[in-house]
This record gives sequence, C-alpha cells and structure tokens, in this order.
Amino acid sequence: MSGQHAALKRCDGLNRRDFLYLGAVSFLGLSLADLLRIQSAQASEAGPAAKTKAVSCILIWLDGGPSHLDTFDLKPNAPAEVRGDFKPIGTSVAGVQICEHLPRTAQMMGEVALVRSLTHELGNHDTGSRYLLTGRRPSAATEYPSLGSVIAKESDNTVAAVPPYVAIPAAVQAAGAGYLPGAYSPFSVGGDPSRADYRVRDLDAPEGVSFDRFDRRRTMLETIDGFSRGVEASPATAGRDAFYEQAYRLMTSPAAKKAFDLGQEPDAVHNRYGRGKLGAGCLLARRLVEAGSRFVTVVDNGWDMHTGIFKALPDAQFPGSGKLPALDHAYSALLSDLKERGLLDTTLVVLMGEFGRTPKINSAAGRDHWPRAGSACLAGGGVKGGQVIGATDAFGEAPIDTPVRPEDMAFSILRLLGVDPSRQYVMPNGRPLKILDTGDFIRGLT
Amino acid sequence: MKRLRIAFSALAITFALVWSAFTRAPQAQARERLGSFEPSDSSRLHFPTQILPILTKAGCNAGACHGAAIGQGGFKLSLLGYDPESDFDAITRQFGGRRVDFSFPSQSLLLRKATHAIKHKGGERIDSDSADYRAVVRWIEESAPYGRRDLKVSTIEIRPTDVLVSAPGKTIQLKVTATLSDGSVEDVTAHALYSSNDDSVAVAGEEGSVEVTRRGLTAIMVRYGGQVAAVRVGAPMGDVEVEAGSFPPQNFIDEKVWDELHRMRVPPSALCSDDEFLRRVYLDLIGRLPSANEVRSFVAQPSTTAGRRKVISELLKRPEYADLWTLRFSDLLLIDSKRLGEEPARAYHNWVREQLASNIPFDRLVRNLLTASGDFSRIPTANFYRLAQDPRDMGEFVSSTFLGVQIACARCHAHPFASWTQEDFYGFAACFADLRSELTHPKTGRDIAPKPLGGRDPADRSADRHVALAEWLTSHENPYFAKAIVNRVWRYLMGRGIAEPVDDLRVSNPPSNPALLDALASDFVANGYDLSRLVQTIAESRTYQLSSHPTDVNRDDDRLFSHGYVKPLPPQVLADAIAQATQVPDAYVGYPAGTRAVELIDARAPSYALDVLGRCTRDIACDSRSRGGGVSQALHLMNGATVNEKFRGGVIDRLLANNVSDTRIADELYLSTLSRLPSTQERDFCIGRLATATIAADKRHLIEDLLWALLNSREFAYNH
Repeated sequence: MSGQHAALKRCDGLNRRDFLYLGAVSFLGLSLADLLRIQSAQASEAGPAAKTKAVSCILIWLDGGPSHLDTFDLKPNAPAEVRGDFKPIGTSVAGVQICEHLPRTAQMMGEVALVRSLTHELGNHDTGSRYLLTGRRPSAATEYPSLGSVIAKESDNTVAAVPPYVAIPAAVQAAGAGYLPGAYSPFSVGGDPSRADYRVRDLDAPEGVSFDRFDRRRTMLETIDGFSRGVEASPATAGRDAFYEQAYRLMTSPAAKKAFDLGQEPDAVHNRYGRGKLGAGCLLARRLVEAGSRFVTVVDNGWDMHTGIFKALPDAQFPGSGKLPALDHAYSALLSDLKERGLLDTTLVVLMGEFGRTPKINSAAGRDHWPRAGSACLAGGGVKGGQVIGATDAFGEAPIDTPVRPEDMAFSILRLLGVDPSRQYVMPNGRPLKILDTGDFIRGLT
Repeated sequence: MKRLRIAFSALAITFALVWSAFTRAPQAQARERLGSFEPSDSSRLHFPTQILPILTKAGCNAGACHGAAIGQGGFKLSLLGYDPESDFDAITRQFGGRRVDFSFPSQSLLLRKATHAIKHKGGERIDSDSADYRAVVRWIEESAPYGRRDLKVSTIEIRPTDVLVSAPGKTIQLKVTATLSDGSVEDVTAHALYSSNDDSVAVAGEEGSVEVTRRGLTAIMVRYGGQVAAVRVGAPMGDVEVEAGSFPPQNFIDEKVWDELHRMRVPPSALCSDDEFLRRVYLDLIGRLPSANEVRSFVAQPSTTAGRRKVISELLKRPEYADLWTLRFSDLLLIDSKRLGEEPARAYHNWVREQLASNIPFDRLVRNLLTASGDFSRIPTANFYRLAQDPRDMGEFVSSTFLGVQIACARCHAHPFASWTQEDFYGFAACFADLRSELTHPKTGRDIAPKPLGGRDPADRSADRHVALAEWLTSHENPYFAKAIVNRVWRYLMGRGIAEPVDDLRVSNPPSNPALLDALASDFVANGYDLSRLVQTIAESRTYQLSSHPTDVNRDDDRLFSHGYVKPLPPQVLADAIAQATQVPDAYVGYPAGTRAVELIDARAPSYALDVLGRCTRDIACDSRSRGGGVSQALHLMNGATVNEKFRGGVIDRLLANNVSDTRIADELYLSTLSRLPSTQERDFCIGRLATATIAADKRHLIEDLLWALLNSREFAYNH
C-alpha cells in the first residue's frame, strides 16, 4: 500500500497522504490554508509573495469599459479625432499627466501605480469582464472563479462579522464562483448606498416586524424544525442549515450592523467621498474592509460610452451628472481616507474596467470597445506608488512597452494578497486546475 | 499561539517528507519484481509502450506538471502521454537534444531532473536504483529510438471485473493486460495508472493493489497507453443478509435495485407514507404542492398500490406536467430570448411544450432538432443550431446534452478519463460545420471529415451531415443516447443519477448500478422512447416510493437507492410553492396574471427571488452546478418580499374571515405548506401559540409568524 505515494505526489511537493495527515492535525487549530501558506513561504521560489502586505482588496469596477484616452492616458499631440475634448493636467508625480477632470486624483498619484498597457483581445463586455475578473481566458467548457471567490475560498478559516466577498451594490455576472461551490459567490448588498435610508437588501427584519417579533419567529422556526420528522438535519441539508445560521449571525451581529450602517459616518466624510452611488459605495467598501471583508467590489455602471462621451464624462449638464467628477471624488477620498487610517498598506485598491475604448472618435461623438489598450490603477497593499508602468503608442492604440495581460493583472492581485496563483484546485469533475496557468507579476509593481 | 502553530506545521511537513522517503524503498523492489521492460534486443525498443509509460507512471506528464497545457519550466509533455510523437520530440530533439546525452546516458538532463540529482521542482520522480531508471538509461544508450511508428495500445482489460470484498480492510490485487495493435498481449499491471473514484471507500496502490477502507461502493479507474477502463469495488454495507420479503418488487426497476441492495447487504427503508408520497410525486411530476383538499381526500382512502398508480397516471395528464418538463428541457436546450430574440425563443419554448404535452417519442423530438433548418423566425426548431456559431461548441453541447458525454477535454488534449482523442473531438465537431466554417485540425491543419463519436465514417460523404448525424445519434445501437436521457429523468425523480454526473457518462465513471441503467434504457427503447411512460415506470416502482427516513445501516448509502434521497425544491418550484401555500400569486412583467415561475419561457423575466434562488440562466449548461443558495437566499426567504408580502390577501385573510378554530388554523397551515396534517405535538404547539393572542391584530401576527416559520422550515425547502 505504500506504493501510492509517488503516483499521487504533486508538483507542489505534497501528496495525498500528506493531505490526509494535514486533515488529522487540523483539530489542533491548524488549518490547511495555514500549512499551505507556511509551506509556500518556505519554498525557495516564492518570490514577492514572501513580503505580502495586503490583507484586503477593494476593486472599483468601471463597468462598460472606461476610455483610457479620456482618463489616464491622454494624447494631447494626437489629431483631434483621437485627442478628444479634454486637456491633461500635471499631478503630484513629476512628468505624469492625467485628465483635467480628475484633479483630486492627480494629487493622489504618489500612491498610485498607473498601468497604461493593459491589453487583450476580447472586445465583448461579458467575455472581457470574465477575462479581467478571473484572469483566465473565458472557455465554453469551464466557468472559472472570479478573483474575489478565490480570495473568499482562501479565507475559509478567518471568522469575521461580515462576508469575505462582497459586491456593492450587486455583482456583475462574471464575478461569480465559477466551478467553486456557490458559497464563494459574492454577497450582493443590493440597493443604493447613497440613499439616506439605505439598508442592505433583506438584512433587516421586514417592516413592521420588531426585533422581538423576529425573535419569536425564529423560536417558532426552531421548534417546528425540531418537531418535524419529515426532513431531518443530514449532510444533504447541511449547506442550507449553515447559510441560515450565517444569515442569523449577520442580522444579529452588532459589528456587521455597524459596518453596513453608513449613517455612522459624519456628513463631512460623505461629502468627501461624494454624495453619489459610487462615493457611497467606496465608503461602504472601506467600512467593510475595516470589519474584515477580504474582497469588496464596487461596481460603477455606465462607462460604455458609444455616444456623446465628452458630455457624459464631465459635469456637462449639471453638477453630479458626469462620471469623472464622481470617480475623482470617490477614488481620491478612498485612497486618502485609507492612508489616514493607516489601512492603505494593508488594502490593495484596484481601479479598472473590462477594456479601453477606440482611439478614433466615432460619428456619434463616442468611442467603441477597444481591448488592445486600456489603463488601470493599483494603489496600497504594498504597491509602489508614483509610477507609470507601460505606455501606449502615439494614438493609444496598443502598448509599446511592458504589455500587461489580464493574466498578469490577476497574478499580481493574487500575489499581493498572499495567494499563490499556481495553487491547484480540483474541479467537481476531478480535473486538477491551477488558479492561473499563466501570468507574471507586473514588473516594478512593488 | 501563532508560533506554536508554525512549529506544529513544520513538524507535520517534516513528518510527511520522512514518511514518503521511508516508503520509497520497498516500492522500488516491487517494481522490479513486476517490471519486465528491459528488452535484450535493441531492435524491439519501443518508446510509446516501453519508455513513455514509465514517465506517465512517475507523474511527469500529469496535468499539474509537464502535462499542463503550457508545460512546466519550459518542458511540455502531452497529458498522460496521449501524443507519443510530440513527447518523443520534446525529449530527444527539442533545444538541440539537450535533454538526452548519448555519450553519458546517465548524465542526461531528463534523468538528472527525474532523480532530483539537480534542482527539480517536482522533486525525485524516479529512483536511480530502479528498473525504470535502468530502462530509460538503456534506451538512451541505444540512441533513444522511437521504434515502430504503427504500434500502439488497442485495448486494456482488468481482472477481476467486479470486486466485492467481504469486509473493509481487505486488499485485492488487480491484473491489467494490454492488447497492442499487432495482436500481442502484455501484462502491464506494474505500469498502468490507478486511481480511486472515491478515496474514502477504496484506495488504489501504485502496483494495482486495491484496499477497501470503508463499507460502500466505488470504482477504480485504470489508464494505460491512452486507454481507460474501470472496475467497481466495494464492501457490503451491512453484516447480515437482507431478507427478500422486505422488498416486494413492483416492476423491473425494483428487481435490479434489489439485486444490488442484496449484494451490498443494504436493507431498504420502508415504503413512504401516503402524504409523503403525494407531496413527492406532485412536486416531481408537475412541480406543484398538492392542495389541502387533495391531501385530505387521498389520505382518507386506504393506502393501496392501485391508489398510488391512479394518482401518477392522473398527474401525467395534467397541463402542469408539460409545464414542468418544458422548463427542464428548456434548461437543457438553453432556450434564451436574449440569444434567440423574444419571439423565436417563445415559439421554440412553445414547440417544446407541444412535444411534451403530446408525448412525442423522444428520439423523434431530438431528430427534429438535429435536422432542423430554414428560417428561425418561422420554424421554431431552427433555433436549435443558433445556440453556437462554432461547430466545436455545438459538438460539445450535443454530446453533453443528448449523449451525456463530455468531450470538451479532447478539444485541447486526449481526454484523461476517457478514450476520446482530439481526432474524435474534431471529427464530431465537423458534423456541425458547414462549408463556410470547415474545421481544420489544430495540429495538422488539415480539413476534417465529419465522424460521429465512436461511430463509423459515414458511407456517403455527400449526404446531409445533420441527417446522418441524427440517424446515428438516435439509433438503437447508439450506446449513449437512451442511457443519457433515462439517467437524467431518473435524476429528476430520484435526486441522483444512476451515473453521476449525468452529463459525464464514461467507462471510467461506471454507474452505481449498471444493470439498472441498462434495463431502463432497453425498456425505454423497446417502448418507443416514450417519456411519460418512463416517468410512470419510475414513479410506480417501490424504489421511488421508499421513505426518505434511513435505517441505521442504509444511512450512509447515497447511490444504491435504498431510501428516498431528499431533494431541494428547484428554484421555480420553490417560488411557486410559496405562492401556492400563501394563496398569493407572483406577478411577472410581460406575462399574464397568474403565470407561474415554472411557465416563464426563460430566465430573463426580472425576478430577484428567482435569481437569488438560483434559476439556471441558460448561458451555460446548469447540469452539474448549483447556483443560488448562500446567505443572500436565506436572508431573502426570511426577510424579503417573496415570503413577507404574501401574508395579506391570501390564506390568512381567508382563515380570519371564516373565524375558524385554532385547531383548524393549525391544520390548514400545515396542509398548505407541508402537505400533511400536523402531529399532535405540532398541533398543540400551534394552538398554544395562537392562544396567547389577546386582540385580533395579535392573532393575525401569530398566524403570520407560524406561516413564516413553516415557509422557512427545513421540511418545506425539500422534497422528501
């Protein structure tokens, strides 16, 4: 029987008997994740993972695909049909310019590693989003887990009052658990956090049901479940029973309630982040990270600007109408607030969307999908700020330096969060699969 | 504390390493005893059958190592050696042949890495004091020849074919022989790969020994030279023989199930009660709860087999039967108005419903889809091929949906758990290509002729590809077609496929009861692919009607159908059940009032409840994945509108208006939610709670709370 060892031995040096053994020691309070972490720290080839700083990640997802040419990669010397309406402005980093409608962000660039060479080939919202959010090229045969789900899985053993993976207000379809169990799907808070009466969807007892009455309901439910001979608690019902337990915990935990309650923030802070959805979403994300969430996605819709892009981006119609001022407020406030609280070192903040937009302005004064080039910002969590990584050509059509693929972006995010991207999972059909097959750590990022 | 943890884990790792080093030596000896790949005549050296199996066995080309799609450390081998020629190339030619050293064979990079003489991420794979090592050295000494190009492994055979040991702890030895393409037969026991489908039941050793570690049933998969086979192994679940009298068969299903229960010494549970039967069969066949009156009148009659049969045959005639099965087939066919357009999707959905309502033979239904052509806005079935443009996607879809066969792996490499090759994959995909999108092989770049999976080349190349495909796919001889659909229908009713997952039938994943699956498929074919008869046959069996309460011995059984397996209500059925129990219907935008969730044509009708309950969104097959669940679902059912906004205008209003007794209220609440009368204990509890009401408003609240608790109860959430 001893013969099984070599056959089952894996590239990571652990074989299955080891896993069984590890299972046996887990009662000592030692989790498998702990062991793997220690093991990967011992491995000589661990590289940058060894000095992991980031504990959590806030991803600001600009859904629809933000125009790189009108945000972080302006081309003032290009012809008018490429250049667009906006002028570049200087930033706190010498030699780095960004869009004039991002003045607050400009002052925070000392914290930001600006990637101007994000590039891939999938110019369709769904596939592009999947590519960026999973780090794997979408496949018809396999649905891959999003980065947030991977992080949720890797934080199985950390107990916090709030869920590990949260989407504000709701997850895009590509942000799901893929082949991992549904438990690693994001918890969508729902609703509009910028409203004064904001509540997480379904977190409070229904209107008119006091806490006492909810308690009465819960007692009745426990009694009825206890009496019922119809379906007894068994492995088949374990998942559901656990989710009800977690839901109760979330409803009754003062810490969770507090984390979700934006009313606890003074007016000045609300104003600092901006009064819109994105500002409130970023503020909520900060509170959740403080309470122990590991991966919080703030989804900002409306970046798919095929028409009238120069009206939609700035506050052209009325204060608060434009996407850029709202983003400028929220993003700069999030970075500076995290920094003031001493949380920026442990919180990685990523700003990106599924692709950039066409350099040539179309006949409807918009820009169309352009996956060949796009920009992304990374800050905090050990990232070296005040730098630009990569560059695009004169018209912003393609990277001419340090191209960064979605795989590289995902690889870097995982590494920064202390997860080895080559870690292997087993799909339900038994196929062993690494989190990522390819990808490199973005050079110079830390 | 942290430090202590690190110390413990360091200890654990050290222990593991020492352990594996310790166990290596006897293994090498065993190899030598069995191994016989040291040919004296160098002209008989053959890389694919003598050298490659050594590397495969050592794990070099495993999916996690050099067999990965992009290789490992710049060295790529084909997954488990499916492509000997390119592996030969990688080893002997790539990088100017730096991996083999003809002057100093033992100094070859290949061997120094594999023995961990130099840095190797995979560690030591081959012991330098082993027959395998010497075989590779000798091969390189002879200038690393490929040998006969045409010789390959045709089949492998395992002896014994089915293993049942008397008790856990016993070990048996398998013997594996390979038949090569020249007709020669070799004992390859020492060189095949073994893996257990369920390690908790049986563990496979490297040399083909199998230790059964727990009572139960699983299979050992054996792979060698691109061929796959499997053998069922297990140990009886009970100590004593089960008495035949405890399981009088209703039909052939019960006979086949009984054979296995008897063999495995698993006592079956008793027959379920009448109210359990009624709720179960309503939910499974028509996706509804029985009404309070239907429950009352059924349980009032004496319990008879004939009575149950009557219910089944009546349900099969109800329009809700077609509604529920249309939902199931629309999920399978991925009918989606976003992809197809609103009107075509509706017409396609309606077409499916007509077929099921009129119970058209299933083979004809599938033939109609596979041969459909023309204008999709007028011909509903023409939407079938609009699912995917790429013939490869279409091929994967058809094989998993109608054959229960996963060929997607073979798109990029030979299937690791089945014998499908890239040639099979592309041949099958070519059946879906047209002149505009002729398929070429990814490696050879040549055009590919259409060829059904495991079928013969179509004799007439000029024949319509789709007609030829449909004929082959639905023919009686096709081993997969009938099995795939009966296995799916079985799963809808029984909660688990006889082969699981239902879209992954393969030799290496044998059914838990092969004779049962064969018998169901034969019966289905013999009766003209009659779906509703199939449903009826299953529902009438004693097996279907077993109680879901396990006995002490059959509690751990999850594949022999010794008791009813509890099933969570499907998302749409759960939403409808809440509406039915509360007597307050849901409203769906764009649909007439009173439309049930089961009747929606696709997942595009906005409904947070159905989203959070996990309906299939039909962008990708939902077969083996459970969506939904999670904290959001629990929160929604406890606090959301789906339950809490159904307390007014429905059953509670009626109970209050009629001023019925508290006893009656308790009975009605239980009947409408759990489809049974409360036990005395349950009734007394309800009455006790209702008696605490001092004013009318209080009474309403108490009824609401009881109903809330019943709708959130475990029993309500499951079909049991």
